Amino acid sequence: MNCESATRSFSLFLYGELSIEEEQSFQDHLEGCAGCRKAFEAEKAIHQALDAREKLPPAPLLARCRRDLKLRLDVTAARPAPWRAWFGWWPALVRPAGALALVAVGFFAARWTSAPRPDNTLDPMVSRVRYVQPESSGKVRVVIEDTRQRFLTGDPGDEQIHRLLLAATRESSDAGLRAESMDILSAQPASNELRGTLLYALEHDPNPGVRLKALDALKPYASAPDVRGALAKALLADDNPGIRTQAIDLLMQKKEEAMVGLLQELVQKESDSYVGLRCQKALREMDASVGTF
Amino acid sequence: MEEAVLIRAAQKGDPDAFEQLVHAYDRGVLRVAMNLLRSTEDAYDAYQETFLRVFKSLHLFRFDCNFQTWLYRVATNVCLDHLRKRKVRREEPAVVETEEGQWNRMDNLPEDRAQADPQRNLLNRQLGERIEAVLQGLTAKERMVFELRHYQGFRLRAIGEALGASEEAAKTCLFRATQKMRAALGDFV
Repeated sequence: MNCESATRSFSLFLYGELSIEEEQSFQDHLEGCAGCRKAFEAEKAIHQALDAREKLPPAPLLARCRRDLKLRLDVTAARPAPWRAWFGWWPALVRPAGALALVAVGFFAARWTSAPRPDNTLDPMVSRVRYVQPESSGKVRVVIEDTRQRFLTGDPGDEQIHRLLLAATRESSDAGLRAESMDILSAQPASNELRGTLLYALEHDPNPGVRLKALDALKPYASAPDVRGALAKALLADDNPGIRTQAIDLLMQKKEEAMVGLLQELVQKESDSYVGLRCQKALREMDASVGTF
Repeated sequence: MEEAVLIRAAQKGDPDAFEQLVHAYDRGVLRVAMNLLRSTEDAYDAYQETFLRVFKSLHLFRFDCNFQTWLYRVATNVCLDHLRKRKVRREEPAVVETEEGQWNRMDNLPEDRAQADPQRNLLNRQLGERIEAVLQGLTAKERMVFELRHYQGFRLRAIGEALGASEEAAKTCLFRATQKMRAALGDFV
């Protein structure tokens, strides 16, 4: 090994990335070369200086990441995988929530689309007895109601598909379905109708994960007055600290004088320490006092 | 619980098992994201996106590589995507904003030591500034390789796998990074 290859090996040696033979050759060279020994000591000092500057991310940020991830996972986990939607639907028959979701989809489809076509229907998914009538012959007449699935395929921008997605976002009883529909819609061009649906979800959706998703999707509209109003309302009324934190972040994209009072009010009543800290930081950024006098 | 058991449980839909996996690795992922993206909000987004992607594709994990490497492959791709999306390279401040205040690697020395020796403190601050400057001068891949090797302790082979490159390519990146460090800091230590 010569001086040039020894210099190239300094860091690899310190990181333990040399082979045994290379290490031996490196050490042999150092023993006989005072210049390389000195340079290697300097390299070690650089590594130590870099070590001294290692720092883990702040605990509050990590806590916020974990909390919000949990919300998002709760919603994501509620969505059926595509394969399950087509091949694994039987278990849904015994789950009331699943059945309700299917009924709901059927209802929306009936509301928003034209009459069913026989070429896109599947076998009955849910059957229930609606009426039982004994007959004089001793037989029984049973009236069965079948709920059928049918499918539509189209671009998310197609009017019919778009309206179905909007309806599912607002009205489905299945949080996973609402989130999935919202995901698809949020990739579509901005529109007042979409914004209205997202605002509705932010204010009314019972699932915090879906509300958080609505907040994410509202980012492009964050400076619109109606969106800022909804964010302010969420900041004061939403019971989920993750939503309140995100609301602060979005509102702070455009610092307005009117926010000072809102943030000061929140600081007074905020029970979550992280949101409280976030509020105080926002007030400091706006050169406002944390307390009210 | 053993990691493989946790992964299998998470693949079957056990949320607690997935949460344990997240908690085992998420500090490192967040650290990489903060150091590379230099923005709390971007790091937050990268964290969420990384673990959501992992959650959705965990069923594809076949134990044919190390889980941590697989996870970091996702994380590094997410971070590099974020960087690519920034059409105009943002100014990267030495001080990273966080909710609990400013995160500055230059201010990382214990306070009592600083008070005891102001001259040493000054030198350390200057050294910190140099380190910060040289880190900013690294390319995204150099910084990623350096971060994964120096602070996260990854082997170069694993770094190559995580970045979709060869071990040799990772070694070259690390060499360039350490060469820049040496040039900038050599006369200071």
